[in-house]
Parts: sequence; C-alpha cells; structure tokens
Amino acid sequence: MPGGMPGFPGMKRFVILDRKETRPFYWYQCVDSSDLAFAIMNPRLFKPDYSVDLKSTIREMSWEADSKNDLALYVVVNASGDVPEKITANLVGPLVINTKKCEAVQVIVQNSPYSHRHPIFGEG
Amino acid sequence: MLVLTRKVGEKINIGGDIIVNVLEINKGSVRLGVEAPRNISILRHEVYERIREENLKSAQGSSVEIEKAARRWREKGLKG
Repeated sequence: MPGGMPGFPGMKRFVILDRKETRPFYWYQCVDSSDLAFAIMNPRLFKPDYSVDLKSTIREMSWEADSKNDLALYVVVNASGDVPEKITANLVGPLVINTKKCEAVQVIVQNSPYSHRHPIFGEG
Repeated sequence: MLVLTRKVGEKINIGGDIIVNVLEINKGSVRLGVEAPRNISILRHEVYERIREENLKSAQGSSVEIEKAARRWREKGLKG
C-alpha cells in the first residue's frame, strides 16, 4: 500500500485476515504495527448499488493493464462506539485492493454522493 | 510555512513537476489549476481530513464490538 492510510503515515504493509467468527467483517491488519488493524467489509452487502468511479485510481496506481476482476472493493468499518447497531462504514474512502499485484490504495472520493458514516444496519 | 503573493495568471512550482496556477480571484475565492504527475492525488483539504479522522476513529474500534456486530448480522439473516 504505497500511499498508506491517511492518519497512519509509514504504515504501508497490510494483510487481510478472515476470522470466521467476525464475518462478514475482515481485518485489514498492518504488518508493520501489530496494534493497527481496521475492520473492513464488502460494501455491497449492505448497499448493493454502491459504486465508485475508479478511472483515476487505476491511472494513479498504473493498473491499466489489470483486469477489473482483480480489483476488490472494501470499506472501512467504524465500531468505535459501543452500540453494534450504530456501526458505520466509510463510503467516501473505500479500499481498493489489486489482488493480483498485492497492491492497495484508500481512494478518497471527491464530491461523493455517499456518507463517510453510513450505518451498515440501516438508519433504524 | 512559505507565504508568497501571486497575481492572476502567475504560477508557483512545487518541486520539479508540480505547478499551481492562479486562474481567477473573485469575492474572496481563488480558482487554482494544479498540474501534477498522475500518481499525485490532489484533494480539497477538508475531504482528506475527514477520511483521516475517520481512519483514526476506525482504528480504535474494538474487536469485541465487531464480534457483536457480526453476531447481529447473522441473527438478522443478512448475507455475507
């Protein structure tokens, strides 16, 4: 992850951990700092029509030659509160992972129609 | 912080390959044009800042809360 995650300069190497008991969430675990991990998930599980324009990202990352099927899209989950129903996901800063090249980037979407605190269990 | 004054039509260079153009000044707003290599992302500061803050908060989320949420997810019969 050459650009790292905003807020965590220098943290560039991550792995995705899949723990059965926390599915549908996965863990984006930093390899450089064992304390740092983000819960991530597939946004289409709670927002089936979620879409992001990746044209400029693909250009910035020099992924033009790669298949779209090799790009995995995740969103970062904020569970910093103590009410599971209030858990949100950041739809303005999705993670795009090129699974073939093992490269990733957190895309920051300008003028996004989505929220950076989208409740994954709905508004209710 | 370097502070400098520019007029409309003037530019500044940042490093060897970033150029900021002052395009227009109107009622307290400045229109800027930025020329930069394609691997440099250019963002309004507040958008970047919102993502940074959300990342910092998200990194504090506890695995216990995620486990609870995962249980809730399954109880609701949601897919995934």
